[in-house]
Amino acid sequence: MFKDLDPILHTPLRLAVVSLLISVKEAEFTFIREKTNATAGNLSVQMNKLKDAGYIEVVKQFRDNYPQTICKITPEGIKAFEIYVQNLQSYLNAGN
Amino acid sequence: MERTEKNSSAMSSAESLAVIEAMINKAKNQFSENGHLYLLWGWVVFFCSLIHYLGLRFIKMVEFQYVWLLMLPAVLYTIVYLVKQKKQQKVTTYTDEVLGAIWMAFGVTICISGFVIGQTMGTEFYKLLNPIYLGIYGVPTFVSGMLLKFRPLKAGAFFCWGMAVLATFIPVQEHLLLIALAMAVAWIVPGYRLKQRYVKQS
Repeated sequence: MFKDLDPILHTPLRLAVVSLLISVKEAEFTFIREKTNATAGNLSVQMNKLKDAGYIEVVKQFRDNYPQTICKITPEGIKAFEIYVQNLQSYLNAGN
Repeated sequence: MERTEKNSSAMSSAESLAVIEAMINKAKNQFSENGHLYLLWGWVVFFCSLIHYLGLRFIKMVEFQYVWLLMLPAVLYTIVYLVKQKKQQKVTTYTDEVLGAIWMAFGVTICISGFVIGQTMGTEFYKLLNPIYLGIYGVPTFVSGMLLKFRPLKAGAFFCWGMAVLATFIPVQEHLLLIALAMAVAWIVPGYRLKQRYVKQS
């Protein structure tokens, strides 16, 4: 019996953001935008969905009078990502 | 990556894996090490040990030891540089964090071992100081080489350890030359190579 893939993670941009954040301690919004090639608007919307799900933490602050958005993955986000990958593996194994 | 939610449901398992792999690789290949501090400290220690050695050997003046006071402005510059770099950094990797910790521990170990050797050896501290320092230099250099997967640093670390052993076989007066040599191999050469790699990445 296949488990459903987490709909929060099963979209290209949100999955890309979580995959990126799982590999680093924290990253600035501009770094994530640069690496995912997403538009600021689309990325912002998708990041809010991840934040609402509790998968990422977003801290807005000022650095040298400029606004800065720092993002990091939460323990819930790590758990969700691990489950997503496990489920993905079961799909791929079934296909072999 | 700019696809909207409507077409995102069409993402297959293989596509999901490709996204994960691509993003993890992008994060993995993020080198924040530009070699600047390796070069700064490599050249400062190289210069100080060489001047100290030449002063003792040819001019026979112990006052040349004061050249090491040059470390103080280097420490101040390093602090300012690190604070500035932290502000400009767009991403902090786990590697950055571990590297920061190991170099901080190295700084503390250097200070404490200098103090302990001075206390226990008295005026004969110089017999032990440089061989011990050479051994300690190898530790953060080796760990950095492993974490950054950078062979010149790993080779530099082994060179430092080799110099530490060699120091026990040669006259104490020549120890400063070993320090200069170790700096050239362990920090200066890898520093230039890291700078090259960093420039290539950006």
